[in-house]
Amino acid sequence: MLPENITAVVSRNERWRGEAASEPYEAGWAREAIFFVRALKQPVGPTATAWVEISPDGMHWLREGTEIAMPAERDGVAMARLSHFGNWLRIAARFDSGAECSVLVTLHLKA
Amino acid sequence: MKNQAPNQAGDLTEAMRLALLRADPALSRFDPLPRILSFDNFARGHCGWSQLVGNYEDDLDTMLPGYAQHTSAMLSTLAHWDAGSHGGMDSSYALKLATRPLPGARNVVIKRHTFRKRGPIRFEMYFTFKPEANALKLSETDVRSVGLLFDLQGGDQDGNSNNDRVMPHLRFLNALDGQHLQKWQYKRETERIIPIGTDNKTISHYHLSPEGWIDLPDGSQRLCYNEIPTKVNWTYLCFDFDLATMTALGLRCNDRSFDLSGFDSIRIPAMKNLWCMLNFGLFAETDVAKRAFLYVDSICISGDF
Repeated sequence: MLPENITAVVSRNERWRGEAASEPYEAGWAREAIFFVRALKQPVGPTATAWVEISPDGMHWLREGTEIAMPAERDGVAMARLSHFGNWLRIAARFDSGAECSVLVTLHLKA
Repeated sequence: MKNQAPNQAGDLTEAMRLALLRADPALSRFDPLPRILSFDNFARGHCGWSQLVGNYEDDLDTMLPGYAQHTSAMLSTLAHWDAGSHGGMDSSYALKLATRPLPGARNVVIKRHTFRKRGPIRFEMYFTFKPEANALKLSETDVRSVGLLFDLQGGDQDGNSNNDRVMPHLRFLNALDGQHLQKWQYKRETERIIPIGTDNKTISHYHLSPEGWIDLPDGSQRLCYNEIPTKVNWTYLCFDFDLATMTALGLRCNDRSFDLSGFDSIRIPAMKNLWCMLNFGLFAETDVAKRAFLYVDSICISGDF
């Protein structure tokens, strides 16, 4: 049997401002993951930093260590590659006052 | 088989079919009709259950907000902070559908087929539901509902009087506004049909709005919820529907069988590109600012054709 792989859309056309994060996603079966973050509209304000978070329970979150710059242009795509994350995954970002980005966050998992 | 009367041969065929089903550890807990359309065990992946995405044209902002909230389902071992992975019925995995943590939030997962013959179909599954276990409380009224819908349309040659789009909806209303109601409901009306975009090709209608749910007669049922938010028990559900007459034939949940003589579906005029559609949807709704989780261990969809 071929190894499982799926593409999950975890945030679609969400307007991220201030403190933002994707919904928790369980991926314990997967050995590798990539988050892609695409700007669906022209981002506003300074480019924010996003980071990957892991969790023991889907409720308490801590930084996994990977950081990426959010896309600076419409249709720009940022990505984070992961290979050791346990079960729970999400991506979070913090925006300066007045800054925002409408995002499409997809999570690509492979057994 | 030689020299047997047709009814005896038929009886033997059915007896052999049942014997084979009951000897199969994977299928033995189901009562499928003669043809199995799909058998979904989520240790084998998502099995075609995908996110219900709303219609749009040119810009995702045209998507109705009810659909915009949806996210992808996931494969879960029902991992809990206090007891670890709960697991499924005979594997580690179940399909998990999660809402956002907002009162009234909803999520829908869908499987899209078409049918070969208008006849009886049967949808069976083992499921459970729980709220996110972020409080040391029983939390039994946090999940508003979990439910099932079909999205069906007749064939392109079936004639205008027999090709409506028909959408049976059922939900187990667990709680509403904090009241523990525990009853089955159905729905006959969708919201108005809204054009999407400017090309006159796409429309949308939100069929899962909170309004319009009707109690199923004698539809109260107390399901096994267990004693803390992280103990789960799997529940059996079976819904029978006839594609020939587009009527519901039966609903069973664990030890209960419900009268569907008063049941009806959402019915709207046929759409120009949905012929022979046979879609199955599952949904979850939260009553509070906490994620609601619908877990599905396995699903068997069968038909008589």
